[in-house]
Amino acid sequence: MDMAFDANSDVTDDALLVAYGNGDREAAMLLTTRLTPRVLGFSARMLGGDRAEAEDVTQEAMLRLWKIAPEWRQGEAKVTTWLFHVVRNLCTDRLRKRRGVDIDSIAEPADDAPGAVQGLIDTDRAQALQAALNQLPERQRVAVTLRHLDGATNPEIAAVLDISVEAVESLTARGKRALAALLAGRREELGYGED
Amino acid sequence: MAKTEHDILDDAALEAFFTAGRADTPVPSSDLMARVLADAEAHQSKPRPIARPAQRRSLLAGLIAAIGGWPALAGMATATVAGVWLGFAQPDTLNALAGGTLLPGATETGYELEDLVPSFSNFGAVVEEG
Repeated sequence: MDMAFDANSDVTDDALLVAYGNGDREAAMLLTTRLTPRVLGFSARMLGGDRAEAEDVTQEAMLRLWKIAPEWRQGEAKVTTWLFHVVRNLCTDRLRKRRGVDIDSIAEPADDAPGAVQGLIDTDRAQALQAALNQLPERQRVAVTLRHLDGATNPEIAAVLDISVEAVESLTARGKRALAALLAGRREELGYGED
Repeated sequence: MAKTEHDILDDAALEAFFTAGRADTPVPSSDLMARVLADAEAHQSKPRPIARPAQRRSLLAGLIAAIGGWPALAGMATATVAGVWLGFAQPDTLNALAGGTLLPGATETGYELEDLVPSFSNFGAVVEEG
């Protein structure tokens, strides 16, 4: 298929969404390719690593994006910020419904194979990070996840959480400190010997 | 009890966890991508027809349009050719075609001036008398 621009082109998400709203099929494909991985990554981390549920949330968030497209006004908001906002709300609803179930027991990996191979160690570290993230207060989890795993900027995170940039900086710092404390206990088993 | 340095990770160690976390980001399955794209297509409005810009018409095109387009022009051309043909055609031929009904008794080819303008025969007398 011929494409006028690829997923890495300079065309903004904003412009693509307006084009989609005007009936451009290629824009739909580009937006799907561009945004779905980020939405899925954020959803999965917010839901404690539950892949199936994260896929459902991703589809729902993208569906809301398609529906809002005809009314989207270019330049008013960032598409990713809007999406993360939606994802956050969807995840909060789902986590609330899970209440009573021990979330940590779902997220905690079956960690019975010490990683001799680096790949396994990395996987273990990622799982340990997820387990630690699950223990953070929700807003700290959002801030740390978007800042350090998704690569979002502080103003973007501020828009997602409806707070000031200064508040984001404070949340992120507190979240990182909490993570550092939670992960310190697993230093040795995850391949960080005593220095 | 206050945390000691041993109890928490430094930034570099924490960054190693973030690096591992980024590498472990789930990749959307082809099934999920297909579902999202199907939703996109299902909720996409139809492409808006693009209005064609008004075309400037030449004078000739405007004239042709005014008389009813090319079919009307063809009819006019036929009538013109027929008129020219009638003008040049031999009247006796016309008479022959008409079965002698137009000029009964005519034996000569062509018309005399008086045949066409009967009053012309008196014109000379008028001039002479004048």
